[in-house]
Amino acid sequence: MIRRRLAIPLALVSLLAGCGGGATDRHAAARPDLPAIAPGAVTETSRSLRIAGTDRSAQDVATAAAAAPDAAGVRSELAPLPRAAFRPPIARWRAGSRREAAAFAAAVARLRADVAAGAVAAARRDWLAADVRLARIGAAYGALGPLGVALAGRPGRLTGGVSSRRFTGMHAVERALWTARDRARLPVLTAGLVRDGARLRRRIAAMAVSPLDYTLRAHEILEDAQRDDLSGEAAPWSGAGLRVTAGAYAATRRVVGTLRPLLEGRGDALEPVESGLRSFGAELAAVRRAHGGALPSQRALGRRERERLDGRLGQLLEALAAIPPSLETRLPSAIPSLP
Amino acid sequence: MSLSRRRFLASAGLLGAGALAGEALPAQGEATAPSAPRSVSGRPARITFDGRHQAGILTAPGEAATIVALDAIAPGRAELIAGLRALSARARDLAHGGAMPEQEPDEPPADSGTLGPVIAPDGLTATIAFGASLFDHRYGLGARRPRRLTAMPAFPDDDLDPARTHGDVLLALSANRRDTVVHALRELLRPVRGAFALRWSLDGFLGGDRGPTPHSSRRNLFGFRDGTGNPHTGDAAAMDELLWVPRGGDEPAWAAGGTYQVVRAIRMHVEFWDRVGLREQEGMIGRRRDSGAPLGGRTEFQDPRLDLDPHGRRIPLDAHIRLANPRTPETASRRILRRGWNYDRGFDADGQLDQGLLFVAFNRDPRRQFEVIQHRLAGEPMTDYVTPVGGGYFFAPRGARGPGDWVGSPLFAT
Repeated sequence: MIRRRLAIPLALVSLLAGCGGGATDRHAAARPDLPAIAPGAVTETSRSLRIAGTDRSAQDVATAAAAAPDAAGVRSELAPLPRAAFRPPIARWRAGSRREAAAFAAAVARLRADVAAGAVAAARRDWLAADVRLARIGAAYGALGPLGVALAGRPGRLTGGVSSRRFTGMHAVERALWTARDRARLPVLTAGLVRDGARLRRRIAAMAVSPLDYTLRAHEILEDAQRDDLSGEAAPWSGAGLRVTAGAYAATRRVVGTLRPLLEGRGDALEPVESGLRSFGAELAAVRRAHGGALPSQRALGRRERERLDGRLGQLLEALAAIPPSLETRLPSAIPSLP
Repeated sequence: MSLSRRRFLASAGLLGAGALAGEALPAQGEATAPSAPRSVSGRPARITFDGRHQAGILTAPGEAATIVALDAIAPGRAELIAGLRALSARARDLAHGGAMPEQEPDEPPADSGTLGPVIAPDGLTATIAFGASLFDHRYGLGARRPRRLTAMPAFPDDDLDPARTHGDVLLALSANRRDTVVHALRELLRPVRGAFALRWSLDGFLGGDRGPTPHSSRRNLFGFRDGTGNPHTGDAAAMDELLWVPRGGDEPAWAAGGTYQVVRAIRMHVEFWDRVGLREQEGMIGRRRDSGAPLGGRTEFQDPRLDLDPHGRRIPLDAHIRLANPRTPETASRRILRRGWNYDRGFDADGQLDQGLLFVAFNRDPRRQFEVIQHRLAGEPMTDYVTPVGGGYFFAPRGARGPGDWVGSPLFAT
């Protein structure tokens, strides 16, 4: 969420400066409420210098050339995409995420019931199911705003850490279930999850997702999972990190699936992504097989398993990072010089 | 115990109480360093430990640093005093350098010898500071706590690890070379084992001095120059305004001449950062990566003229440099003096490099200065790529007056 805010001032730049021209900028001007895609670097020179004997800049010529497919029918990724092209993928993503949110709401309802019945083993299973559902929604990097913090905030952001009274949500429940500390708080904590879980579907239905948000999400869901989940940081008590990472993987496949029509026949970002998805997926499947059909707690992973998972995920992330720049809706504007 | 060893220890201030030095003290150790040849980095080869303010605050950061938080385990006040006295005495000797004493061969050497028989000072500074927890019930210091000293709170973007946070005493070491710092820590801990226990430590290094000018700021591990916007340490009036606790204010009298030290261990997710486009990186910082110039500018120390760019046409409104220092008259008195080092702690449980920034800031009032900046930075675009994981708030008291005096002595004066 934070990252995509970058786009807003950039969109302002192009509107205020009135620089550039051509179809892309007209489109941005027509929809000033929608931020544009984060641009790559364009030098001032390429914008302002005119090709001798013409009134066109090097950038204009390059942009025009890029929009035409080559002999093999592949378009350069430098050709900006119309923003409307992102509407169907985002709509498909939203529908899928609402289904996951509904499954989350059902899981935390079971969790509350099992907590009330004093069934700790069942409550742990419910918790794991709920945590994976949350990851499968695919709302990376604070996209859910304060609701995301309420649901899955971590104690390290609170003065007093796990002893803070403001420590609530999934991880407070996790700690109580797996360590037996503060079990008395469980009824209140799970009731809070049920309440917030009910808000989740509405939040997903209502939240604005720009093309930039969406293309960034293609790699940020798993960036998030690598940083917080596969590292074991987010769920230290349950060891759920690998299962959550698999949930984030499923969410990423869903995002990439919706973007496939845009990526096909455009640049060369898609092939490494598909092969990276296959290879990380195969690794997850191999670990699942080796551990009796279910992903184990991270503590149960062997060194080789760890190394391969980390490596395949890293390789996949490198490939996914090529998606946002290959799906730009407009070229970047020049930065005005300091006086 | 042999005579030679006794003499060595006496010179280190552990046995005899040296004469208290007079009042005519330099404002800063650096200023009177005897015939100090300059090192390549511009940091003097010898930086006097004593002075009105402690060395290592205004001093340009050395190439290598180690920051160590200690917990006081001294059984009583007298042992705590002895420990602090020993820290200062040993630090003073190491900062001065000199030949190792002769000893009888059947005794463990008085120095590890890792720097050879003659210890070169190598620009070593050792800065000692106190955490809020030192002022609890254990040593009867509660009534003397500096008024603005609290435990560091957790900020919304933090993920603090209790094992890497807070501490009773902070020891910040810096020198021109890594082995000098490593040696100093080993020697400093030797006489204080019964008084202080290691709580956490973090090693830092400066990005290399690669120009283009001797003043060019060093690079952090995101590849950007860091520290460009610092206030000038040579501006005594600014330092009085921004750093030093004045005499006669609302602080306890012993705190005058000291300053508040903020330490933050900030993990930088470098793999993720490396997957971000250059334009986006530069937009998050507000500077060009190559030159360090503000966006739209040509040279590092050029004024970004934020006043002429109210809509963020040049420098996005949420760029780090704009939030950290808006350069308005209202924010001028809220600036801090930053002293940062890069760190590299190997890698984490999922094979990601554990690298980041050992951020140190000095200011007169953390609530009014550091925290105001921190709140402005909350949620900045860069937060996705960094995670503050540790650190603490400390108070670095005034410097020692000379051999026989020690950092923190006014705190215990009755």
